[in-house]
Amino acid sequence: MNEVYKIVFMGAPGSGKTTCIAALSDIPPVSTDVPCTDALQETKDTTTVALDYGELRLDGDNGRLLLYGLPGQSRFSYMFDVVRAGLFGAIVLVDASSEGAIDGLAETLETYREDLASIPLVVAINKSDEPSHALGLRCQQALHAQGLVAPVTAMDARRRDDVVQLFEVLLTLLEFGFGHTSKGRAT
Amino acid sequence: MSIVLPTQPRCHRALDTLLHRCDGVEAAMFALRDGRSYAERFRSTLPVNKFAAMSSSLVALSNSVLREIASDALNYLLIEGDAHKLVLCKVAGSKSPLILSILAKHEINLGLVLGLAKMCAKDVMEAEFAESAQAS
Repeated sequence: MNEVYKIVFMGAPGSGKTTCIAALSDIPPVSTDVPCTDALQETKDTTTVALDYGELRLDGDNGRLLLYGLPGQSRFSYMFDVVRAGLFGAIVLVDASSEGAIDGLAETLETYREDLASIPLVVAINKSDEPSHALGLRCQQALHAQGLVAPVTAMDARRRDDVVQLFEVLLTLLEFGFGHTSKGRAT
Repeated sequence: MSIVLPTQPRCHRALDTLLHRCDGVEAAMFALRDGRSYAERFRSTLPVNKFAAMSSSLVALSNSVLREIASDALNYLLIEGDAHKLVLCKVAGSKSPLILSILAKHEINLGLVLGLAKMCAKDVMEAEFAESAQAS
Protein backbone atom coordinates (compact mmCIF):
# COMPACT_ATOMS: atom_id res chain seq x y z
CA MET A 1 0.00 0.00 0.00
CA ASN A 2 1.42 3.36 -0.95
CA GLU A 3 -1.39 5.79 -0.20
CA VAL A 4 -0.81 9.53 -0.16
CA TYR A 5 -2.87 11.63 2.24
CA LYS A 6 -3.05 15.37 1.98
CA ILE A 7 -3.50 17.23 5.26
CA VAL A 8 -3.74 20.96 5.82
CA PHE A 9 -2.63 22.82 8.94
CA MET A 10 -4.55 25.98 9.67
CA GLY A 11 -4.79 28.45 12.53
CA ALA A 12 -4.10 32.00 13.59
CA PRO A 13 -0.70 33.61 12.90
CA GLY A 14 1.83 32.24 15.38
CA SER A 15 -0.12 29.10 16.23
CA GLY A 16 2.79 26.91 15.10
CA LYS A 17 1.96 25.76 11.56
CA THR A 18 5.32 26.54 9.96
CA THR A 19 7.24 25.18 12.96
CA CYS A 20 5.16 22.03 12.88
CA ILE A 21 5.80 21.29 9.21
CA ALA A 22 9.51 22.14 9.50
CA ALA A 23 9.85 19.78 12.48
CA LEU A 24 7.94 16.88 10.94
CA SER A 25 8.90 16.89 7.31
CA ASP A 26 11.16 14.15 5.94
CA ILE A 27 12.13 16.47 3.10
CA PRO A 28 13.42 20.06 3.35
CA PRO A 29 10.19 22.00 3.81
CA VAL A 30 9.06 24.57 1.28
CA SER A 31 8.41 27.86 2.97
CA THR A 32 6.99 31.17 1.80
CA ASP A 33 7.69 33.24 4.87
CA VAL A 34 8.37 36.96 4.57
CA PRO A 35 9.20 39.61 7.19
CA CYS A 36 6.15 40.98 9.00
CA THR A 37 5.34 44.63 8.43
CA ASP A 38 2.33 45.02 10.73
CA ALA A 39 1.66 44.65 14.45
CA LEU A 40 2.48 40.96 14.19
CA GLN A 41 6.19 41.83 14.14
CA GLU A 42 5.96 42.41 17.90
CA THR A 43 5.46 38.67 18.41
CA LYS A 44 7.21 37.09 15.40
CA ASP A 45 9.70 38.07 12.71
CA THR A 46 8.17 36.39 9.69
CA THR A 47 4.80 35.20 8.45
CA THR A 48 3.65 32.76 5.76
CA VAL A 49 2.04 34.44 2.75
CA ALA A 50 1.34 31.46 0.46
CA LEU A 51 1.90 28.03 1.96
CA ASP A 52 4.28 25.69 3.74
CA TYR A 53 4.84 22.21 2.38
CA GLY A 54 6.45 19.09 3.77
CA GLU A 55 6.12 15.31 3.63
CA LEU A 56 6.00 12.70 6.36
CA ARG A 57 6.44 8.99 5.69
CA LEU A 58 4.20 6.79 7.79
CA ASP A 59 5.80 3.82 9.50
CA GLY A 60 5.91 0.53 7.62
CA ASP A 61 4.26 0.57 4.25
CA ASN A 62 1.42 2.84 5.25
CA GLY A 63 1.97 5.66 2.80
CA ARG A 64 2.88 9.31 3.10
CA LEU A 65 1.31 12.42 4.54
CA LEU A 66 1.58 15.56 2.43
CA LEU A 67 1.62 18.43 4.90
CA TYR A 68 0.35 21.83 3.82
CA GLY A 69 0.29 24.91 6.00
CA LEU A 70 -1.87 27.90 5.13
CA PRO A 71 -1.33 31.53 6.14
CA GLY A 72 -3.12 32.53 9.33
CA GLN A 73 -4.50 35.86 8.15
CA SER A 74 -7.96 35.74 6.59
CA ARG A 75 -6.82 37.96 3.70
CA PHE A 76 -5.06 34.86 2.34
CA SER A 77 -8.17 32.67 2.50
CA TYR A 78 -8.03 32.03 -1.27
CA MET A 79 -5.03 29.78 -0.63
CA PHE A 80 -7.49 27.11 0.48
CA ASP A 81 -8.54 26.86 -3.18
CA VAL A 82 -4.96 25.89 -3.99
CA VAL A 83 -4.90 22.94 -1.58
CA ARG A 84 -8.56 21.87 -1.70
CA ALA A 85 -8.32 19.14 -4.37
CA GLY A 86 -7.88 15.73 -2.78
CA LEU A 87 -7.71 17.10 0.72
CA PHE A 88 -7.99 14.37 3.34
CA GLY A 89 -8.49 16.48 6.44
CA ALA A 90 -7.63 19.61 8.37
CA ILE A 91 -5.88 20.26 11.66
CA VAL A 92 -6.60 23.67 13.17
CA LEU A 93 -3.85 24.67 15.59
CA VAL A 94 -4.56 26.80 18.65
CA ASP A 95 -1.72 28.57 20.45
CA ALA A 96 -2.47 27.88 24.11
CA SER A 97 0.14 30.42 25.20
CA SER A 98 -1.57 33.29 23.38
CA GLU A 99 -4.12 35.56 25.03
CA GLY A 100 -5.94 35.76 21.72
CA ALA A 101 -6.07 31.99 21.22
CA ILE A 102 -9.85 31.73 21.06
CA ASP A 103 -10.27 34.86 18.94
CA GLY A 104 -7.74 33.43 16.49
CA LEU A 105 -9.55 30.10 16.40
CA ALA A 106 -12.91 31.81 15.92
CA GLU A 107 -11.58 33.82 12.98
CA THR A 108 -10.12 30.72 11.32
CA LEU A 109 -13.35 28.76 11.77
CA GLU A 110 -15.50 31.63 10.50
CA THR A 111 -13.28 32.21 7.45
CA TYR A 112 -13.18 28.56 6.38
CA ARG A 113 -16.49 27.32 7.84
CA GLU A 114 -17.93 25.92 4.61
CA ASP A 115 -14.74 24.12 3.65
CA LEU A 116 -14.17 22.73 7.14
CA ALA A 117 -17.72 21.41 7.30
CA SER A 118 -17.02 19.08 4.40
CA ILE A 119 -13.79 17.41 5.55
CA PRO A 120 -12.58 15.61 8.68
CA LEU A 121 -11.39 18.23 11.16
CA VAL A 122 -9.45 18.22 14.43
CA VAL A 123 -8.72 21.20 16.66
CA ALA A 124 -5.30 20.76 18.26
CA ILE A 125 -4.21 22.85 21.23
CA ASN A 126 -0.51 23.51 20.78
CA LYS A 127 2.25 25.05 22.94
CA SER A 128 1.03 23.70 26.26
CA ASP A 129 1.78 20.43 28.03
CA GLU A 130 -1.50 20.46 29.88
CA PRO A 131 -4.00 22.91 28.43
CA SER A 132 -6.75 23.87 30.82
CA HIS A 133 -10.14 22.22 30.66
CA ALA A 134 -11.60 25.69 30.25
CA LEU A 135 -9.58 26.31 27.07
CA GLY A 136 -10.84 23.04 25.61
CA LEU A 137 -14.41 24.05 26.40
CA ARG A 138 -13.94 27.45 24.79
CA CYS A 139 -12.59 25.77 21.67
CA GLN A 140 -15.72 23.61 21.56
CA GLN A 141 -17.87 26.72 21.97
CA ALA A 142 -16.03 28.37 19.06
CA LEU A 143 -16.73 25.30 16.94
CA HIS A 144 -20.40 25.22 17.91
CA ALA A 145 -20.75 28.93 17.14
CA GLN A 146 -19.91 28.09 13.52
CA GLY A 147 -22.07 24.97 13.45
CA LEU A 148 -19.00 22.71 13.36
CA VAL A 149 -18.34 19.53 15.29
CA ALA A 150 -14.80 18.26 15.83
CA PRO A 151 -12.60 16.65 18.46
CA VAL A 152 -10.46 19.04 20.49
CA THR A 153 -7.17 17.62 21.67
CA ALA A 154 -3.78 18.72 22.99
CA MET A 155 -0.66 18.17 20.94
CA ASP A 156 2.94 19.15 20.56
CA ALA A 157 3.02 20.12 16.90
CA ARG A 158 6.76 19.35 16.73
CA ARG A 159 6.25 15.68 17.69
CA ARG A 160 5.82 13.15 14.93
CA ASP A 161 3.82 10.76 17.11
CA ASP A 162 1.31 13.47 17.96
CA VAL A 163 0.68 14.29 14.32
CA VAL A 164 0.41 10.62 13.34
CA GLN A 165 -2.13 10.22 16.15
CA LEU A 166 -4.15 13.16 14.81
CA PHE A 167 -4.01 11.60 11.36
CA GLU A 168 -5.52 8.44 12.85
CA VAL A 169 -8.28 10.55 14.39
CA LEU A 170 -8.93 12.05 10.95
CA LEU A 171 -9.08 8.53 9.50
CA THR A 172 -11.62 7.53 12.14
CA LEU A 173 -13.70 10.64 11.41
CA LEU A 174 -13.64 9.82 7.73
CA GLU A 175 -14.76 6.28 8.43
CA PHE A 176 -17.59 7.20 10.76
CA GLY A 177 -18.52 10.79 10.06
CA PHE A 178 -17.78 11.64 6.46
CA GLY A 179 -18.82 9.83 3.31
CA HIS A 180 -16.51 11.14 0.58
CA THR A 181 -13.71 8.62 0.60
CA SER A 182 -12.99 8.95 -3.10
CA LYS A 183 -12.63 12.71 -2.81
CA GLY A 184 -10.66 12.50 0.38
CA ARG A 185 -7.63 10.65 -0.92
CA ALA A 186 -4.97 11.99 -3.20
CA THR A 187 -3.31 9.54 -5.52
CA MET B 1 15.50 45.03 10.76
CA SER B 2 13.66 48.34 10.65
CA ILE B 3 11.43 48.89 7.66
CA VAL B 4 12.18 51.84 5.40
CA LEU B 5 9.36 52.92 3.15
CA PRO B 6 9.05 55.74 0.67
CA THR B 7 6.12 57.99 1.56
CA GLN B 8 2.69 57.02 0.25
CA PRO B 9 2.26 60.33 -1.65
CA ARG B 10 5.55 59.57 -3.41
CA CYS B 11 4.31 56.10 -4.34
CA HIS B 12 1.00 57.51 -5.56
CA ARG B 13 2.83 60.04 -7.75
CA ALA B 14 4.95 57.26 -9.25
CA LEU B 15 1.83 55.20 -9.97
CA ASP B 16 0.05 58.22 -11.48
CA THR B 17 3.00 58.75 -13.81
CA LEU B 18 2.91 55.09 -14.79
CA LEU B 19 -0.80 55.17 -15.65
CA HIS B 20 -0.38 58.48 -17.46
CA ARG B 21 2.35 57.00 -19.68
CA CYS B 22 0.26 54.04 -20.82
CA ASP B 23 -3.51 53.95 -21.26
CA GLY B 24 -3.39 50.18 -21.44
CA VAL B 25 -2.34 49.88 -17.80
CA GLU B 26 -5.53 49.27 -15.88
CA ALA B 27 -4.19 49.03 -12.35
CA ALA B 28 -0.93 49.47 -10.49
CA MET B 29 -0.17 48.86 -6.86
CA PHE B 30 2.63 48.90 -4.36
CA ALA B 31 1.87 46.06 -1.96
CA LEU B 32 3.77 45.13 1.17
CA ARG B 33 5.43 41.73 0.98
CA ASP B 34 3.15 40.37 3.67
CA GLY B 35 0.08 41.07 1.59
CA ARG B 36 -1.31 44.52 2.34
CA SER B 37 -1.75 47.40 -0.06
CA TYR B 38 0.54 50.39 0.48
CA ALA B 39 -0.49 52.55 -2.49
CA GLU B 40 -2.67 51.82 -5.48
CA ARG B 41 -4.15 53.45 -8.56
CA PHE B 42 -6.92 51.69 -10.49
CA ARG B 43 -8.84 52.82 -13.59
CA SER B 44 -11.76 50.63 -12.51
CA THR B 45 -12.89 48.98 -9.30
CA LEU B 46 -10.75 46.06 -8.16
CA PRO B 47 -10.66 44.16 -4.86
CA VAL B 48 -7.71 46.01 -3.31
CA ASN B 49 -7.08 43.70 -0.36
CA LYS B 50 -7.28 40.54 -2.42
CA PHE B 51 -5.02 42.00 -5.12
CA ALA B 52 -2.40 42.89 -2.50
CA ALA B 53 -2.55 39.52 -0.73
CA MET B 54 -2.42 37.58 -4.02
CA SER B 55 0.52 39.66 -5.23
CA SER B 56 2.43 38.75 -2.10
CA SER B 57 1.55 35.03 -2.36
CA LEU B 58 2.52 34.86 -6.03
CA VAL B 59 5.87 36.56 -5.48
CA ALA B 60 6.65 34.38 -2.45
CA LEU B 61 5.70 31.17 -4.28
CA SER B 62 7.68 32.18 -7.37
CA ASN B 63 10.69 32.94 -5.18
CA SER B 64 10.37 29.52 -3.55
CA VAL B 65 10.06 27.72 -6.88
CA LEU B 66 13.14 29.42 -8.33
CA ARG B 67 15.11 28.89 -5.12
CA GLU B 68 14.20 25.20 -4.88
CA ILE B 69 14.52 24.32 -8.56
CA ALA B 70 17.36 26.53 -9.77
CA SER B 71 18.90 28.25 -6.71
CA ASP B 72 17.88 31.49 -8.33
CA ALA B 73 16.05 34.64 -7.26
CA LEU B 74 13.02 36.27 -8.80
CA ASN B 75 13.29 39.34 -11.03
CA TYR B 76 9.73 39.56 -12.21
CA LEU B 77 6.68 37.37 -12.66
CA LEU B 78 4.43 37.46 -15.73
CA ILE B 79 0.94 36.00 -15.85
CA GLU B 80 -0.87 36.21 -19.19
CA GLY B 81 -4.57 35.68 -19.68
CA ASP B 82 -6.81 36.07 -22.73
CA ALA B 83 -7.49 39.72 -22.05
CA HIS B 84 -4.87 40.84 -19.54
CA LYS B 85 -1.31 40.45 -18.44
CA LEU B 86 -0.15 40.83 -14.87
CA VAL B 87 3.44 41.77 -14.08
CA LEU B 88 4.77 41.53 -10.53
CA CYS B 89 8.21 42.53 -9.38
CA LYS B 90 9.99 43.28 -6.15
CA VAL B 91 11.26 46.79 -5.69
CA ALA B 92 14.80 45.52 -6.20
CA GLY B 93 17.68 46.47 -3.97
CA SER B 94 15.29 48.07 -1.60
CA LYS B 95 15.26 47.70 2.16
CA SER B 96 11.55 48.36 1.96
CA PRO B 97 9.34 45.30 1.59
CA LEU B 98 7.45 46.49 -1.48
CA ILE B 99 6.10 44.60 -4.48
CA LEU B 100 4.96 46.41 -7.61
CA SER B 101 1.95 44.85 -9.37
CA ILE B 102 0.79 46.05 -12.77
CA LEU B 103 -2.34 44.86 -14.54
CA ALA B 104 -2.36 45.75 -18.25
CA LYS B 105 -4.48 44.97 -21.27
CA HIS B 106 -3.22 41.96 -23.18
CA GLU B 107 -2.35 43.93 -26.33
CA ILE B 108 0.13 46.11 -24.46
CA ASN B 109 3.69 45.13 -25.29
CA LEU B 110 5.40 43.25 -22.47
CA GLY B 111 8.60 45.24 -22.93
CA LEU B 112 6.66 48.44 -22.40
CA VAL B 113 5.06 47.15 -19.20
CA LEU B 114 8.41 45.95 -17.86
CA GLY B 115 10.05 49.26 -18.75
CA LEU B 116 7.32 51.18 -16.96
CA ALA B 117 7.63 48.87 -13.96
CA LYS B 118 11.40 49.47 -13.78
CA MET B 119 10.96 53.24 -13.99
CA CYS B 120 8.24 53.24 -11.36
CA ALA B 121 10.27 51.07 -8.97
CA LYS B 122 13.39 53.18 -9.53
CA ASP B 123 11.40 56.31 -8.82
CA VAL B 124 10.30 55.16 -5.37
CA MET B 125 13.67 53.54 -4.61
CA GLU B 126 15.40 56.86 -5.11
CA ALA B 127 12.88 58.44 -2.81
CA GLU B 128 13.49 55.74 -0.25
CA PHE B 129 17.26 56.23 -0.29
CA ALA B 130 16.82 60.00 0.03
CA GLU B 131 14.46 59.55 2.98
CA SER B 132 16.70 56.97 4.62
CA ALA B 133 19.74 59.29 4.23
CA GLN B 134 17.72 62.13 5.74
CA ALA B 135 16.74 59.96 8.69
CA SER B 136 20.36 59.01 9.41
